[in-house]
Amino acid sequence: MPSLREVQQAVQRSVLLHEDPVAAAYIVDEGVAPAERLSIYRNTFAGSLTTALRLSFPAVYRLVGAEFFTAAARIFVHEQPPRSAYLDEYGAGVPAFLARFPPAASLAYLPDVARLEWAVSRALHAPDVEPLDVARLSDIDPADHGRVRFVPHPSVSLLRVDYPADAIWRAVLVQDDAALAAIDLAKRPLWLIVQRSPSGIEVTRSDETASRFAGRLLAGQPLEAALDAVDGADAPSLLAEHLRAGRFVAFSVGDAPAPPPVPQSPK
Amino acid sequence: MSGSAPKVRAEGSSIPASAGVGLRFQHHQAVVDTRPDVAWLEVHTENYMGGGTPLAYLDAIRRDYPLSLHGIGLSLGSADGLESAHLQRVRRVVERFEPGLVSEHLSWSIADGLYLGDLLPLPLTEEALEVVCQHIDQIQACLQRRILIENPSTYLRFKHSTIPEWEFLAAVAERTGCGILCDVNNIYVSASNHGWDAAAYLAALPANAIGEIHLAGHSVRQLGDRRVLRIDDHGSRVAPAVWALYAEALAHFGPVPTLIEWDTDVPPLDVLLDEAAQAAIYLRPLQKEANDALAA
Repeated sequence: MPSLREVQQAVQRSVLLHEDPVAAAYIVDEGVAPAERLSIYRNTFAGSLTTALRLSFPAVYRLVGAEFFTAAARIFVHEQPPRSAYLDEYGAGVPAFLARFPPAASLAYLPDVARLEWAVSRALHAPDVEPLDVARLSDIDPADHGRVRFVPHPSVSLLRVDYPADAIWRAVLVQDDAALAAIDLAKRPLWLIVQRSPSGIEVTRSDETASRFAGRLLAGQPLEAALDAVDGADAPSLLAEHLRAGRFVAFSVGDAPAPPPVPQSPK
Repeated sequence: MSGSAPKVRAEGSSIPASAGVGLRFQHHQAVVDTRPDVAWLEVHTENYMGGGTPLAYLDAIRRDYPLSLHGIGLSLGSADGLESAHLQRVRRVVERFEPGLVSEHLSWSIADGLYLGDLLPLPLTEEALEVVCQHIDQIQACLQRRILIENPSTYLRFKHSTIPEWEFLAAVAERTGCGILCDVNNIYVSASNHGWDAAAYLAALPANAIGEIHLAGHSVRQLGDRRVLRIDDHGSRVAPAVWALYAEALAHFGPVPTLIEWDTDVPPLDVLLDEAAQAAIYLRPLQKEANDALAA
C-alpha cells in the first residue's frame, strides 16, 4: 500500500510532468481510464494558474493575444509552479521567462512591459501601511541628517527598462490604438517608480541621476550615500518629492533599527 | 485613520441559517453601491491576504453583512505538513474581518512545496485521517476557533482507500470537533462519478456537525461510449437534481446557512441573488418550524 507521501508525489508528477504510470496504478480503473481522470486535474492546474497570470499581466495578455498567452503560460506554469496558494505572489519569473522565450523574440519590449506589470501587481497587493508623517523629521538633530535611513513603502519599486514600457502599458490597457501606434519603440533606458497611492497605481518616470538617488534611499542606505549619487542635482527637491508622494513609511538615524511601520486602519 | 478607530460591524457577526452568496471581485462595487438584500456573504480567504483595494472593499462590506471566510490553500491533507506562512496569512485575515464562519476543504494541493492549483482527492486511509485531523487541530489552535471542513468533488478514487468518504468526514468531525461544510453539489457530482448513493451519503453525515451548505452548478463531460464525468466547475445555475438533494439535506439537518457559489463565467449579481432567493424558498418553512419550536 503506498504511503500518503508516495501518492502525492506520484500525482504531482502526473500534474506537473505528465508522467502518469505510477499515479495511474494507484487509481481505481473502472469506466473512465485513470490517465483520463488524472488529466482533469492537470487541466485545472494549468487553467487556474493561467487565469491567475492573465489577471497579473493584463497588458502582456492583450499585446500577444489569448492564444499566444495561454500557450506561453502553460509552459511557464509547468516550469515554475507556485510555492503556495497565495497567488498574488505568483508570477515573479514571468518577465525573465518571456525574455528567453523564442516565440516572443520579435516583441523586444514585451519583457519590460511584463516587469512593469509585475511591479504594478506587487504594488496593488502590498500591505496597507501609513506613509511617514513628514513632521516627525523635524525632531532630527540637523547634525544627524546625513545618517538618516528611510524604510520604503511596501508598494514602491524602482525599475530600469530599455523600452517605454509605461507608455505601452497605458495605451494597451485603455485600448488606445492611436497612442500605441505613436510610441517611439527605440531602445533607450528609462527609470520608472511604481507605487500605490490612495488614488491608485502611479507610475512615474525618473532620469538616471534621480533614480540613482531614489535607488539608494529605497535600498535603506543613509541620506549621505544617496547625496553622493546625485552630485549637483537638486537633492532637497528630490527628497521632498519622495516624501510628498508617501514613498517612505519610517526612518531611523545611524544604525538604530527603524520603528515598525504603522498598519493602516480600515477607513 | 487612527489605529484606535472603533470597528463597526454588521449587527451579530454569526451567520444566520439563511441564504448567502459567494462574493467575487467583479461584484465588490455592486454590493457596496446597492447593498443587496442577502443574509450573508462568503469570500475566498486567499483573495484578501495583501492590502489595497480588495481589503478596503471587504472592510466596507463587512460593516453591513455577516461574513464567512472560505479557504482554498491550506492543503489539509498534505503529507508534508501545513505551510506555516500560509496559516499565518489566514490568521491575519481572520483577525481583521472577524468572520462568522471559517472553512477549508478535505483535500490536498501541495506536495514537495509546490502548489498544484486544485483541490486534489485524498486516499481515504487511516494514515490520511491521522494527517488531516492533526492539521485541523493545528489550524483550530492557531485560529482559536472551530472551522468547517468541506466534502470534495472528485474524479478519481484510490484502490487502497479503506474508509467511505462520509465515514471519513464524520470521523474528522468526531476527533477534532470541527464542523462539516456539506457541499450538496459535490456530493451529487462525486456520487455520480463513483456510483455512490447520494441520499445515503447525506444520511450518513452527523447532522449536529453540519455548519453550512454549499450549492453550485456543475458541467457534464461526455467521454464517448456514453460515459460521463460530472465536473464541479461552479459555472452555471444549480442543477434541478441538486436542488432535490438539497431538500433532502435540509430534511436531515434542519435549517443551515446555505451559500450559492459561482466561480467561472460569473454572471451579474442579480443572477446569484436569484439563486439565493431559490434556496430561501427551501429554508423558510424550516426556519419557521425552528422558531415555532423555540417559542413553544
